[in-house]
Amino acid sequence: MEGILFPRGVVEEREGLKEYSSRGGYEALEKALKQLSSERVLQEVADSGLKGRGGAGFPTGKKWAFTAECPETPHYVVLNGGEDEPGSKKDRLLMENLPHLVLEGVILTAYAVRASKAYLYINAAYDEATRSMGDALAEAKQAAYCGERIAGSDFSLEILLTPAPSNYVAGEDTAALEVIEEKKPLPRQKPPFPATAGLFGKPTAMNNVETLANVPPIIARGAKWYRTFGTPESPGTMIFSLNDEVKRPGIYELPFGTALRYLIEECGGGTRDGKRIKAILLGGPSSAFLSADQIDLPLDHNSVRAAGSSIGCGVVRVITEGSCIVEETLRIAEFFAAESCGQCPACRMETNMLAAMLKKVQQGQGGAPLLDQFNKVISFNRGKGFCNLIHMPGPPIESALKLFRSDFEFHLAHGRCPQN
Amino acid sequence: MKRICLVCQNVDCKSRGSEEIMKELQQRVADQGLTDLEVKPYLCFGACQEGPNVVLYPEKSWYAGVKKEDLDDIMKHIAGGPHVTRLDTIDTSLKELIYQLLETGVF
Repeated sequence: MEGILFPRGVVEEREGLKEYSSRGGYEALEKALKQLSSERVLQEVADSGLKGRGGAGFPTGKKWAFTAECPETPHYVVLNGGEDEPGSKKDRLLMENLPHLVLEGVILTAYAVRASKAYLYINAAYDEATRSMGDALAEAKQAAYCGERIAGSDFSLEILLTPAPSNYVAGEDTAALEVIEEKKPLPRQKPPFPATAGLFGKPTAMNNVETLANVPPIIARGAKWYRTFGTPESPGTMIFSLNDEVKRPGIYELPFGTALRYLIEECGGGTRDGKRIKAILLGGPSSAFLSADQIDLPLDHNSVRAAGSSIGCGVVRVITEGSCIVEETLRIAEFFAAESCGQCPACRMETNMLAAMLKKVQQGQGGAPLLDQFNKVISFNRGKGFCNLIHMPGPPIESALKLFRSDFEFHLAHGRCPQN
Repeated sequence: MKRICLVCQNVDCKSRGSEEIMKELQQRVADQGLTDLEVKPYLCFGACQEGPNVVLYPEKSWYAGVKKEDLDDIMKHIAGGPHVTRLDTIDTSLKELIYQLLETGVF
């Protein structure tokens, strides 16, 4: 099926300005600047139903409206290319191979929210993506798609590149703002939200790379066309990153609403060695585990939420029979404990405590009631902390305990996996 | 079971001197030859704003905001003296949570 971001399948090589222009690149920008008001561009994106692809799934048009309507000036745009979610490779691929699509999305966003400056915040470990975006920026400047009076219009936009530290929390929106302001990557207390008080305290539209890559096609072909993909509540497509447990791991763009089974079996070719699926972790390590019998779940925000999980940024991990869920969960808990920035006491306590408790379970130390303490620690810390990290270990741990309690009980009793 | 005296060693408590508190307690326990009690570091009790936090277990006495000058009274309690009421300021629900964790073996 035809994709939106990858109309002819996943692009393997970098697309330069010439190639991008030859397939209609920057026509959306020219159309917007010549024929559409910034309000109209924003409205089109709102009508398209585009939702953020970074994890939260917030409606993009709504987010932009907060910024656009803010009387404070200047307005900023930040492209969040921090992408530190384990297993996620989509933003990197887009920046490496489709840099102009991403850049045109940034410029259109700036036009829509009336920003005069945009920052491309790119994971410092992504050398090729940084180079590719930098080159695209130079090419776009040369072609007058950014800088002063873009394409002969009254709209001007300065675009700068900022390297993002490669730790998890640096990808959090407000931590990213701190970095751009040349401070440490520590999340800010919210509210206020970046949309109204972001970079240097000014209204800031912050979006994930994949989100903004959807903007040029929406403006070029309209919200109505965009809505022919996906479901009414989740229009468009999403790029899924499929892990190594399947025969053909990689990046797949699929319309929302596609069954998880299609992604795993048709795209991924099923599990490596034909092993049976034990669990599926959809949306990254902060999502709840799904059981194998949930494989027919449609991949859209509402269906996944109703199943108790989250589509997140589209990372899909297939966990096969023989894998130990206790070990998986411990790895996740240790990841969050290590990545907690440490500024909020409750987050330090929760992430470290959960990891320590899981370690006890794994090693078979501690009494049977230990398994009932996890949700107490999680509930105790609910609503605390500046950013969401404090809430991230909860869903995988609680769902793992619910779905695979016998694995935990066995580990606690014997200090080893039931499989071995 | 050996009695334990847990002293939080997370960032906040440490910044308020919990490392010295722990060392001092260990020294005094050794000096007094209290072989039935071990002074150990603890990950975090979740009461960071009120640290340094010291918890005696299985007695379940939680002392918050402990300073060096409080150690005489805490040592008296350890040796069988009275509970140090002025340092017992922690909210009951947090105490319950932590005591339950200690009961399940999370040290």
